[in-house]
Amino acid sequence: MVKNITIFTTNTCAYCAMVKKYLGAKGLPYDVVNLDEQPERQAEALALSGAMTVPITVVTKQDDTRQVVIGYNLAKLAPAVA
Amino acid sequence: MTETKVHDVIMVGAGPAALAAAVYTTREDIETLLFERGVVGGLAAVTDMVDNYPGFPDGIEGLTLAENLRKQAERFGAVIELGEVTNIAKEGKLLKLETTSGDMLAKTVLIATGSDYKKIGVPGEQEYYARGVHYCATCDGAFYRDKRLVVVGGGNSAVQESLFLTRYATHIDLLVRSELRASEVLQHDLQKMVDAGKITVHLQTATNEIVGEDNHVVKVVGTDNASGKKIEFPADGVFVFVGLKPNTEFLKNSAIELDEIGLVKTNEDLETNITGVFAAGDVRSGSTMQIATATGEGATAALRIREYLEGHKQTS
Ligand SMILES: Cc1cc2nc3c(=O)[nH]c(=O)nc-3n(C[C@H](O)[C@H](O)[C@H](O)COP(=O)(O)OP(=O)(O)OC[C@H]3O[C@@H](n4cnc5c(N)ncnc54)[C@H](O)[C@@H]3O)c2cc1C
Repeated sequence: MVKNITIFTTNTCAYCAMVKKYLGAKGLPYDVVNLDEQPERQAEALALSGAMTVPITVVTKQDDTRQVVIGYNLAKLAPAVA
Repeated sequence: MTETKVHDVIMVGAGPAALAAAVYTTREDIETLLFERGVVGGLAAVTDMVDNYPGFPDGIEGLTLAENLRKQAERFGAVIELGEVTNIAKEGKLLKLETTSGDMLAKTVLIATGSDYKKIGVPGEQEYYARGVHYCATCDGAFYRDKRLVVVGGGNSAVQESLFLTRYATHIDLLVRSELRASEVLQHDLQKMVDAGKITVHLQTATNEIVGEDNHVVKVVGTDNASGKKIEFPADGVFVFVGLKPNTEFLKNSAIELDEIGLVKTNEDLETNITGVFAAGDVRSGSTMQIATATGEGATAALRIREYLEGHKQTS
């Protein structure tokens, strides 16, 4: 079971909109960290994913294990939030 | 498993061409399903600003235009499924599409899969992918606030994206293999950034290697074509815009005819060599690779699909 979801985004990121659309369609709530508004959190996104890209979706499960999905990748995102 | 339902039309891709086609087909009560493996809105959605789409005198953000096209298509009943089409084959008088959601049947198909960024194929490009080497400025540019960048390419996309990246980067070296091929308007805007010291253009400069240290990019090695001299460009990141390759790999086992660069061949009705299969937009051989022409071709294809469904061409 999913405990919470955080998406790292920017204002111009089309793939971020797709992740939000997918989670929205599944009825899953999520928090957004907009790196254009909070550039100080870039290092956090990079540390979590090892990638300098958005979207980064961090899925935390009830047992506090975490799964990080880089980009808009349904093959990884779908099982992560299942 | 093959779904038993027969769709009137399945559109492969949901970029501007397919979304425009869907506005037309759905308004004609033609049941329409679109498959999209990436972003709804296609390349238009990842473009910062679109200044040449008619009807928007001040330009329009690519993401907003894409969203508007999607809403307009959905308003009339288009259904967009997030998934990929992996093959198209004839099944009697119908068409069978292999997809990530299973096999589907349709009376007609519109191929509107556009194209994707080409790679340069130099050492370091694969290794530092998404960790210093990027192909989408609107996605990854924000990671280069107050950093130094190299952009590779000399066409419209390279110049347009370099201009976008100046909002983050302190300086950009633009490496152009031969001459600039961008439109005059873009070159004019580029000159302003050159004059401001934000961008330096290096013509006749090949890109040979992307070099990293401690897991991040530190420089790009190039060659001055005239002198043959190696040049090093210090960089925290590299954005590559060296052209596009058609999204037609999924057709390699189909009977659909492609041209020598892999674009889908059509007749003047935008129909391929397979009856009932149409193509529109950037993926079509002879297209002019613009959003306005993609939507125009989408509309044309939709009208031809209507004629086809009305029985005028059902000879197979
Ligand atoms: C950086 C950049 C800037 C640009 N700026 C402008 C501009 O200012 N003005 C302008 O007019 N044009 C511009 N263009 C060109 C414009 O974006 C394209 O001409 C237009 O998007 C083409 O539309 P399309 O629908 O044919 O293809 P695309 O927009 O490429 O859409 C095709 C869609 O099909 C999907 N797809 C591919 N294969 C499959 C499959 N097998 N299954 C399911 N889905 C699939 C893709 O994910 C994609 O979303 C720009 C292009 C780039 C790269």
